[in-house]
Amino acid sequence: MTTAMNHVSQAPPNDNPARRSFLGWIAVVTGLVASALVAVPGVRFLVGQRRVKVPWVNLGPTTGFALNETRLVTFDNPLRLPWDGITSQTGVYVRQLGVVEKGDPQFLVLSVNCAHLGCPVSWFPQSELFLCPCHGGVYYADGSHASGPPPRGMFHVMWRIRSGELEIQAPHYPTLQDTLRQPT
Amino acid sequence: MTSARLLESWRVAGLLFLLTTGGCLDQMPGKPNPASRPKLPSEQTDFQVLFARSCSGCHGADGKLGPAPPLNDPLFLAIVPDEVLLDVITRGRRGTPMPAFDRRLSGTLTAEQIQILAEGLKTHFKPTLAGGDAPPYTGELSTQPSAEQIARGEKLFASACAACHGDSGQGSGDEDTAPGRVNDPALLSLFSNQALRRIIITGRPDLGMPNFAETDGRDSDFKPLTSEEIDDLVALLAHWRGRPQQVASNMGPGE
Amino acid sequence: MNARLRQIGTWIDRRLGVRDLLAHTVLHPIPRELESPMGWWYVFGSASLTFLLLQILSGVGLALVYVPSADQAYESLLYLDYEHPLGWFLRALHYYAGSGMVVMVLVHMTQVFLQGGHKYPRELTWCVGVVLLLCVLGMFFSGQILRWDPDAYWGLAVAGSMAGRVPIIGPDVVHVLLGAETIGAAALSRFFALHVFVIPGALLFFLAIHLWLVLRCGVSAPPVPGQIVDRATYDRDYAESLKRGVPFFGDAFWRDALVSALAVIVVVVIAAVLGPKGPTDPPDPTLGGANPRPEWPFLWLFALLSLSPREAETFIILVFPLLVIGVMFAVPFISNRGERAPSRRPVAVLSVILIYTTLGVLTYLGFTAPWSPRMEAWTADPVPVEIVKRSTVPQLVGGSVFQYKNCRNCHALDGVGGRRGPDLTSVGTRLTRDQLIMQVSNGTPGGGLMPAYGKQISPAELSMLVDFLVSLRPEGQPAAGWATPGPSLGAQQAAEPTYAKQLPPPDAS
Repeated sequence: MTTAMNHVSQAPPNDNPARRSFLGWIAVVTGLVASALVAVPGVRFLVGQRRVKVPWVNLGPTTGFALNETRLVTFDNPLRLPWDGITSQTGVYVRQLGVVEKGDPQFLVLSVNCAHLGCPVSWFPQSELFLCPCHGGVYYADGSHASGPPPRGMFHVMWRIRSGELEIQAPHYPTLQDTLRQPT
Repeated sequence: MTSARLLESWRVAGLLFLLTTGGCLDQMPGKPNPASRPKLPSEQTDFQVLFARSCSGCHGADGKLGPAPPLNDPLFLAIVPDEVLLDVITRGRRGTPMPAFDRRLSGTLTAEQIQILAEGLKTHFKPTLAGGDAPPYTGELSTQPSAEQIARGEKLFASACAACHGDSGQGSGDEDTAPGRVNDPALLSLFSNQALRRIIITGRPDLGMPNFAETDGRDSDFKPLTSEEIDDLVALLAHWRGRPQQVASNMGPGE
Repeated sequence: MNARLRQIGTWIDRRLGVRDLLAHTVLHPIPRELESPMGWWYVFGSASLTFLLLQILSGVGLALVYVPSADQAYESLLYLDYEHPLGWFLRALHYYAGSGMVVMVLVHMTQVFLQGGHKYPRELTWCVGVVLLLCVLGMFFSGQILRWDPDAYWGLAVAGSMAGRVPIIGPDVVHVLLGAETIGAAALSRFFALHVFVIPGALLFFLAIHLWLVLRCGVSAPPVPGQIVDRATYDRDYAESLKRGVPFFGDAFWRDALVSALAVIVVVVIAAVLGPKGPTDPPDPTLGGANPRPEWPFLWLFALLSLSPREAETFIILVFPLLVIGVMFAVPFISNRGERAPSRRPVAVLSVILIYTTLGVLTYLGFTAPWSPRMEAWTADPVPVEIVKRSTVPQLVGGSVFQYKNCRNCHALDGVGGRRGPDLTSVGTRLTRDQLIMQVSNGTPGGGLMPAYGKQISPAELSMLVDFLVSLRPEGQPAAGWATPGPSLGAQQAAEPTYAKQLPPPDAS
């Protein structure tokens, strides 16, 4: 060990500036490449979003919903992670609006999340209002804004009818710029 | 030798300290009481808690002296059938301010909790038939009362009710004094015929309204009302209310 | 024995070489003036440090049991509270020592600011201190999420909705925050990583810099009125004063140690008496009526947000906190020189008083949260007996309608009920029958706080409700709009009940 150290210290001083700066340049570039190789996947991992086709959730036969009655329907959200536990339970408010012409009935499916700050609104059939417990946002039965701080009406959940059964598009957590209305 | 003994005594002292502090802490008020383990609202099975949460708003903190008819009323509890209590709590009385409490009807209670409430009313507030017999809870409530029935009802009203409610149910004149008018169609539209019958039978002991038999404020020759007479009174009130319709008032838009 | 230990120490230090550094740290000179009672003002920083150590120890303890997984976290908290010996105490200690840390950091900052310790040359020390404050607050927020109950779940929802308001990249920010499409396991894991790895790492890193700066720039001497901080002379004067200085390991150290010990004892007693906070119900998102409150250090912001007009909301959510942080960083550059004594800095003293008064009032409002409706008030809060006793039959029915239509959730009677809207105990003295009909039917014009009940209430219900409302006035006070009791509109309406013709009998079918 002592010999090695002596050897280094006795080596002729490297006084070729061009070579030194070239080494430095190579080191910096290689370092940048190495950092990028780690950082790009790292950032993509952090901000990445898994791509799944938004699943449809079956809420049962359309005949199970009484005309003009709003009901909280809860289900296990298929967008869950396997270890989500009870937090994957999701609620939506479903209201059957009746048959417009002939054919299937129309539905109104609303997310429980208030458009203000996401708190869960409660349905009060007595006054036909949705009331948010956080800041007192109020919505009418059709989900439109009635009063209070929400900047818009409630979030509508996509729905369809397949062989007489009501299906909804599994709702993600809706926010003002990311509502539940995108195409599949 | 000495150092070994010293070590030993230190060990004992340390153990004692650990035990006492640990033991002390277990006696501290901050230790959560297993009885106060969080309980979901749907797991609540205590009648008192359920009553306070769900009923006291309208029926009063002790089941009386609320704006809605008292539930803590021995006569009422003596005559009301169990299944009626269960059904009315479950589904409410449509068109009146009695809401449905069943979760499936956007209420707040499970079927089990409704059962607890319905049964608990009779065990917590003791039902008693003070004066022996009472008219049955349900009567013959016709939707289209005949003119004779209404006439009988008017006669009965004059003897049994007019002293407080005025000759034609207009109240005592001054709108601000109890008991006020009862001939108002809007008012009557918020009472079911069954609820009217119940109030005529039980009165409102908490607010001084006599029951079907009491004579307070009535003529001295007043005889307790019979079941048929109560039907006649209800027929009169239904007549004052106006013609019947099929749809309840609060079914919301779209009807 | 002693000699042997000394030998081992020497052997290690031959290789490690930290003995001098330690000695330098412990014995570094501090101004002699700190030996006066003024020295008691300098204890809060080390008390914060002591709480940090307590937090690390209790946090490691909790990590032995706590499961940071959405399906198990709640159960493991209940296990800590009810089953594991003294698990409840460790949870309580972790919560109250954390609270104590916030308090101590704030007191420490306030003391430094009031005594001008942030001025030249200690600007950087202050700025790193601000970063430490942010770390501590970050620990508090992320820690609340780990208490995986509805408060935590809906707290995440609120945080997500707030983040979602960021222009353009809002949805991406929400996704980074929640880690998945819905609130659940991914979000909990993110906040666990923040709480246990990221923020503590940052905290320790910046703490090291903070302490290094304290050593390097020295402890400021207690302020003396008239002694001006001047960049040209300060360093020389300070170096001069240190020549007469005393070592830190002396009174200063023992003061710090005593106060730290007392602070720990206080926190232990509080934890033992008050016990752990939560968890409340399981984090079931389908349970209605959640009302998430942020932890106390954030209540003032919550109150400010809730009280501000709708137009200012996004500003308060997104810009205002950044402004506050920016101002805190700017403090040592705004007031960099001049007097240090509080008696010569009225603006500084007044700002502190103003800031703490505002924070106090807002925090109180945050605790009481009068803007949140009480979702169960309509069935749980009795109509006051005094009102019932004097009511006529229509007023009684109106009282039932008042409850039934959920008015009570926002309107108190006799102070009981929701407080989102005004208390209506004496509304009859303020509004006439016609005004009440207008108010109930149309709500607050322009989408204010009260919804329009016009379509939510039948004419009969409205008539009874208004009968009830006009009767709400204290004994002897006249109704609004009537100089003398006159014929009431109610009587007229009753006499001519055209509208009531359409009313159904409730249970005719």
